[in-house]
Amino acid sequence: MKQSILFLLGVLFSLSIVAQTKLDSVQKLEEVVLNDVKLNQNAAGFKVTVLNDSILSKNNSTFTNLLRFNSNIYFKENGYGMVSSPSFRGTNASQTAVIWNGISINSQLNGQTDFNTINTNNINQVVIRNGGGSVQYGSGAIGGSIHLDNTLDFSSHLKNDVKLNYGSFNTKNVSFVTDYGNEKFAFNIGINYIDSENDYKYLSKDQVNENGAFNNLSLSANLGYFMSDKDVIKLYHQSFLGEREFSGTTATPSKSKYEDRNSRSMLEWSRNGLSYTSALKVAYIKEHFDFFQNKDSEFFSFGEVSTLLLKHNFDYKLSKTLSVKSILDYNYFEGEGSSFGEPNRRAFSATGLLQYNPNKKVNLGFNVRQDVMSNFKSPLLFSMDGAFRFSNHYKLKINGSKNFRVPTFNDLYWQPGGNLDLVPESSYQVDLGHVVSFNWLKFQLNTYYISTEDLIQWQPGLSGFWSPQNIAKSHSYGAEVGVDITKTFNKHQLKFTSNYSYTVSENLETNKQLIYVPFHKANVSLAYSFNKFSAYYQHLFNGSVFTTADNLKGSFYSLEPYDVANLGLNYKIIKTTKNELDLGINISNIFNEIYQNVAFRPMPNRNFNIQLHYKF
Amino acid sequence: MKKIIYSILTLSLLVFSCSNDDDLATPSEPLGDYENGIIVSTEGGPSSISYISNDLSTLENQVYFNVNNENLGVYLQSVGFNGNKAYIVVDAGTITVVNRYTFEKLGEISTGLSLPRYIAFDGDTAYVSDWADPSDATDDYIAVVDLNSNTVTSTIAVGEGPEQVLVNSSKLYVSHKGGYSTNNIVTVVNTADSTTDTIIVGSKPDEMAINNQGDLVVLSGGNESWTGNETQASITKIDMSDNSIISALTFADGEHPGLMAYDNGMAYYVLNNEVYGLTDAATALPATSLFSITASYAYGLSVKNNELFLADASFSANSTLFVYDIATGTETNSFAVGIGASKIYFN
Repeated sequence: MKQSILFLLGVLFSLSIVAQTKLDSVQKLEEVVLNDVKLNQNAAGFKVTVLNDSILSKNNSTFTNLLRFNSNIYFKENGYGMVSSPSFRGTNASQTAVIWNGISINSQLNGQTDFNTINTNNINQVVIRNGGGSVQYGSGAIGGSIHLDNTLDFSSHLKNDVKLNYGSFNTKNVSFVTDYGNEKFAFNIGINYIDSENDYKYLSKDQVNENGAFNNLSLSANLGYFMSDKDVIKLYHQSFLGEREFSGTTATPSKSKYEDRNSRSMLEWSRNGLSYTSALKVAYIKEHFDFFQNKDSEFFSFGEVSTLLLKHNFDYKLSKTLSVKSILDYNYFEGEGSSFGEPNRRAFSATGLLQYNPNKKVNLGFNVRQDVMSNFKSPLLFSMDGAFRFSNHYKLKINGSKNFRVPTFNDLYWQPGGNLDLVPESSYQVDLGHVVSFNWLKFQLNTYYISTEDLIQWQPGLSGFWSPQNIAKSHSYGAEVGVDITKTFNKHQLKFTSNYSYTVSENLETNKQLIYVPFHKANVSLAYSFNKFSAYYQHLFNGSVFTTADNLKGSFYSLEPYDVANLGLNYKIIKTTKNELDLGINISNIFNEIYQNVAFRPMPNRNFNIQLHYKF
Repeated sequence: MKKIIYSILTLSLLVFSCSNDDDLATPSEPLGDYENGIIVSTEGGPSSISYISNDLSTLENQVYFNVNNENLGVYLQSVGFNGNKAYIVVDAGTITVVNRYTFEKLGEISTGLSLPRYIAFDGDTAYVSDWADPSDATDDYIAVVDLNSNTVTSTIAVGEGPEQVLVNSSKLYVSHKGGYSTNNIVTVVNTADSTTDTIIVGSKPDEMAINNQGDLVVLSGGNESWTGNETQASITKIDMSDNSIISALTFADGEHPGLMAYDNGMAYYVLNNEVYGLTDAATALPATSLFSITASYAYGLSVKNNELFLADASFSANSTLFVYDIATGTETNSFAVGIGASKIYFN
């Protein structure tokens, strides 16, 4: 390992020398305004994509669909609206961290975030950070991380936003957001309710999606107050109450039902000095589920985990070119469930980040982290990254890191099988990125290699019950390409965005591609606007995936590739400085593609959605 | 690689047998493609049926799908054979009736079943063990099925977690492994009047067989340590004339065998990847095993004509069916069968 670190350092060094000698022109770095400063200041060598407010507000489908059609992230969705889990770069859903305003919200029970329990109406910005980020974001940030941020606007304003949606399968979606601010005080409050029968027809079969109805209510409230010129107090809150029937497969009907009750609250006090920033966060996160195998029965199983988090960030600017940051993080987790009693655990971590920007063309970051946990030893984590601007049009990004994923409550405590001898999964990776940009064009190419060991897998044992073990090793490598083009002719605006990823992800013992990792995934979208009219077309190609470890072809072992396309039209009925009313219509799966995302769980046929969006 | 070899082998043997067909002077009409072979049921998902010919030359996976172009639900629990029909029991609540030699679907029993486990036959009637709501300890039953109409005509309430069922001279024997919980009884149902009687055995009774003396042999796996109430596994011999216990041979603490198969005077069971043989006359459990096996997850066991068949189940890939020669303890064949291979039957 030491050798690879030295090698990496060597590469970084030689590159920085090249960069310094060749660079002559000066260009200002693109400014992305983020409230999670680490994304802005400590990720220069990473591929970071921002989906801002306007993209989020245009999306009137699920969060899953938004990311499926607009990023390299691959989703496994157990039928529309059901459990949906993301993955990056050939890793799995529990190796993908989901970060809400700087803190991880992956379930402590299974290590994943179900994207159909997140509502984009109550989020101002989504940031996708490809590649390992455990040093900054902790367990699970191996393939990449997805950041959900709420922003507060301290300028004098009052904005209200109402959306009404009605669509196929009797789907209703209502949302209201109010956003207020002045120089000292700002808040936004949002509420959203979705209800759907979700009884779509299975194309080419005489079946419909039975037992798939869902509804959920999400609330969000964020407040900020300047106590003095330097001191800001912020309060963030989100809650989600969801009830879903879990649909069956084409071969087996289902009677089950799943209820989510999640909430997260965070209080933050930050003090901004001339050369330092200090932020203290206290957060309380609660996840709870009830699972009814038979929705008509009184019997159910449940699980819940409460997390208390204390976090302190301290940033200090040593000079114009050098800044350091420390993060101290303490977590106390307490669980309770039908299958694992009432365990608890503690975790403490200390992180040091160093950012060196010798000139405006070079950004270098060096970061380390050590976790101390009550159940097991954690490895020392590190990451290094660099960005080198060779010209106005070309930037090279490079990063290397060691990341980890800790065993979940289920892995440790589930009865039977829970294994207290587990150690965290650990992973090394390197990533090389190129960014070519002109006013109208942005081209990005990233290539990476990730090697992960001590993968936790549940296996049946001699004693007859399943237990998780640190057994498998895997590696993945691949390439991600993104091309974005924006063109304006008079009042006509055209925007083209595209992503393609090639992913090889193999079990190193069998040299077989891991299940549910497509070799190829691509999406393109084309948006056009003229005066009050706008339209978009988006298209997704998802290559074939294996559903079993044998890597065999055929319906029992793999899923066919598919192409899905959506079309949307929007017209501004009212547009004044104070009022805006939009009427939109969306057609999803316009070509009626027959496809499955998870084996034997067909996805919806062509469907329609109409939206009224009023801003005042 | 193994698979390629099998397919080449299979292909060549097929060609061979085809070319040899003309020479064969057997006049009897074959009953179907899946006659004279071994049937392996696999839990999936989706569930499927694998077929291996008796001469071990041909393997076909996903037989039911290939014949009927539809899938069985999850999870395929067991298959019962009666006359020229097979009854495929899926715990999502259906029993699919097929021709046992062609596997063509003939019908379905879907009403009156909740979480069916096993099926046994007595004339025109079948008895199906059913957990009902597995979280409810008091609603378990035996469904009585009229085989002429394929309908559940009545139910017989029984204790928690009825598992395997066996009919012997108008009596139905039901082992109660306990479903989501554990249990320690064998229910005896008088099929004439549906009255029941219970016999207390070791915890988690599962596999049952009638030995050459006409006694019922029951393997109870015992509660595992994680239940917080660990009990010893045992093999109980029951006199079927009066339901009395002849003997109960108990295993050492911490030993929990789950598989047993009976053939010609010997009960074979698997414990920690060792195969043991218990003779009818034995008064103690064997001290040494017959031979060792190499399975990741021994999940199904059957014995016939000095050959032992063992399903090594994988739930993430194809499973392996191993064939052992009992006399020498050597593995003679292996086959890549469907996902979650569980039960092995002889057709």
